Amino acid sequence: MESDSVKENAGPSFPEGEYPLVQLDDLRTWFSFGRSLFRPPVSVRAVDGVSLSILQGETIALVGESGSGKTTLGRTILRLVEPTDGRLLYAGMDITHAWQKDLIWLRRRSSIIPQDPYSSVNPTFPVYRILDEPLAVQHIGTRAERSERIDRALENVKLNPPSLFVQKFPHQLSGGQRQRVAVARAMILEPEFIVADEPVSMLDASVRISILRLLRQIQERFRIAFLYITHDLATARHFSDTVGIMYAGKLVEIGPVGSIMGEPLHPYTQALMEAIPDPDPENRLRERPALPGEPPILTGPPPGCRFHPRCPIAKAGLCEVEEPPLRELRPGHWVACHLAS
Amino acid sequence: MAILDIRHLRYYYRTRRGAVKAVDDVSFSIDSGKTLALVGESGCGKTSTATAILRLLPRNVETYEGQVLIDGQDVMAYDADEFRRKVRWRGISMVFQGAMNALSPTARCGLQVAEPLMVHYDVEKEEAIEAARAELKSVGLPDYVAERYPHELSGGMKQRVVIAMALIMKPRLVILDEPTSALDVMTQANIINLLKRLLHETGLAYLFITHDLGLASELANDVAIMYAGRIAEIGPATDVYRSPQHPYTQKLIQSVPLLRSEIAPEFIPGAPPDLTNPPLGCRFHPRCPYAFEPCGWSSSEFASILGEEVPPAGAEKIHISHVAKFGTKDPWTLVASPSGETNVSALASELRDLAARWRASVPFLRAIDDIREGDGRVIVKLHQGRSPELIGRDSHRAACWLLQDGGTTVGE
Repeated sequence: MESDSVKENAGPSFPEGEYPLVQLDDLRTWFSFGRSLFRPPVSVRAVDGVSLSILQGETIALVGESGSGKTTLGRTILRLVEPTDGRLLYAGMDITHAWQKDLIWLRRRSSIIPQDPYSSVNPTFPVYRILDEPLAVQHIGTRAERSERIDRALENVKLNPPSLFVQKFPHQLSGGQRQRVAVARAMILEPEFIVADEPVSMLDASVRISILRLLRQIQERFRIAFLYITHDLATARHFSDTVGIMYAGKLVEIGPVGSIMGEPLHPYTQALMEAIPDPDPENRLRERPALPGEPPILTGPPPGCRFHPRCPIAKAGLCEVEEPPLRELRPGHWVACHLAS
Repeated sequence: MAILDIRHLRYYYRTRRGAVKAVDDVSFSIDSGKTLALVGESGCGKTSTATAILRLLPRNVETYEGQVLIDGQDVMAYDADEFRRKVRWRGISMVFQGAMNALSPTARCGLQVAEPLMVHYDVEKEEAIEAARAELKSVGLPDYVAERYPHELSGGMKQRVVIAMALIMKPRLVILDEPTSALDVMTQANIINLLKRLLHETGLAYLFITHDLGLASELANDVAIMYAGRIAEIGPATDVYRSPQHPYTQKLIQSVPLLRSEIAPEFIPGAPPDLTNPPLGCRFHPRCPYAFEPCGWSSSEFASILGEEVPPAGAEKIHISHVAKFGTKDPWTLVASPSGETNVSALASELRDLAARWRASVPFLRAIDDIREGDGRVIVKLHQGRSPELIGRDSHRAACWLLQDGGTTVGE
């Protein structure tokens, strides 16, 4: 980064320490469609009032079912989508509505690992070009320096020896190897923040763990903050520091991984945990507790608590009327439920 | 008597790179009211086993042999028409992976569920749709679903429609190929509960194909662990989960991230093999931490490891200098020619030193039987590997050389 030939803004700087890298304040991302002369537009409230902060070097897992808004939240934080309302701070700087051309520094300091290693890399590029592109776009280094950096990135993701891989095309690699290339690409600009959007859901169980381990090692070594978006509570348990549970565009529970797993306080989190089987031959002998129904449609979410129509403990006159705020019920452990205590 | 009994099933198909041995000598049986879970990584031949049972073969099939017995009747002898009439839908039906996305978008769900009845039994359309309504009800769907098109339903409802379709002909066995893989966890739990209920209410049996050991334990009476086209271990779920015998099964169980435990998951180094050219001997030996003399390290594997292509984990430190090239004479003979800087006896002693020093920690070196000099080259003789048989006590059996001398338990 030192060999910088461009005069762009390097973005905000901030003191070392427990300073929030990313801060969200009542952030909303709505998608509108169907606008016409005679009709107001319909809005899908994908992210609807989320507040959280991500510290430097922290891994925070965002867990939710499909349609809960977790991917949209990740994309909004990286400003790949513009928020509708609320505030988004990156290292203390307000980037809620910043122009894309003023965010080139953000593109260098953050990156994304996409879900599908089969479609996220250009099939006509060899590995070398896949990794060279971010560097070329950011005008970093000479050819020799870039080549050196690509070799180092491949070593970091354990594609050894790099000389064997740089000339290969994606179709010559296995799914796990492709995902390692996607990780190397996300790492190549030495970012401080990475959004990993379901990085292992397309991979085999045994390969999954090796990629998640790798991400954990890289994060500890380079002090990168990770937003790990997943639907899999079990991997979130083993590969994150903080867990946030999303339901219908809202954060319903967030806290340290041990506190959430040891004592889930929101009835949705409890139901989610009960629905997931660990391998045990006795599972066969009993029904698995599972909530009926489906998550709500986000164009017109239920009033009050969005979970109340499916909630086993919902209280009439309260839950469908009043929206529960996030309350800190255990140290650092916040829950949005009227009835949790 | 077993509803389904398959014996020595083999199914290879041709590709430009040679025959893919997708199913290679697979045997198992399933009793009425029971579930066998077939578990393995992608590409291990699970789905191929199912399509081979139902004889849904592509045009490039090369080998298709063995016995498939349904209620004791060998259906391999049936011709195509007889097989279609007597086996598919009626004897065995299948819920394919992602089938809920393969429903016809232009037909109402009731008609789609009714269709097998109309085709196979010549039932009148109205009557068939009436039967479909009853079936949809039994999988927990409300009445109006029969009139709906697939796009009007949620993923979980569509999956229930597909299950109703598989049940409408009252088959003896249903093959479930990853029936919940595209669904959310809550929907998945609901579908699994439905499958449990159907199993208890009817005399059905399931062949449940999945890569998820947690999910498999929800239904399985018996578990078969498949690796590279073969069954590595098979037995009652309690035995396989509680005391796995095959190193692959042990590793696979350890690789599951547990929600209810702090124990960190482990991964299995390496990748499953290419089935056009599977490893000789035990197919798991290149990834096995316990592999020893008989497991089947071949000279070409030695040549590529020592030739520094991609060393396996733990073998990075093994480095041989002064070799011009490695050649192979036969699967169990490796030939190393010294480069100009050294001579044959020096290279031979380097190899001997290396083998003696790393034998304990680097499994593949244990396969070296003898190192000799001859013809200006070093000849390395390897132990001949053979494929291990499934052995064990009673119904719990595993195919591993460590178990072959009287059933010792693998592992520390």
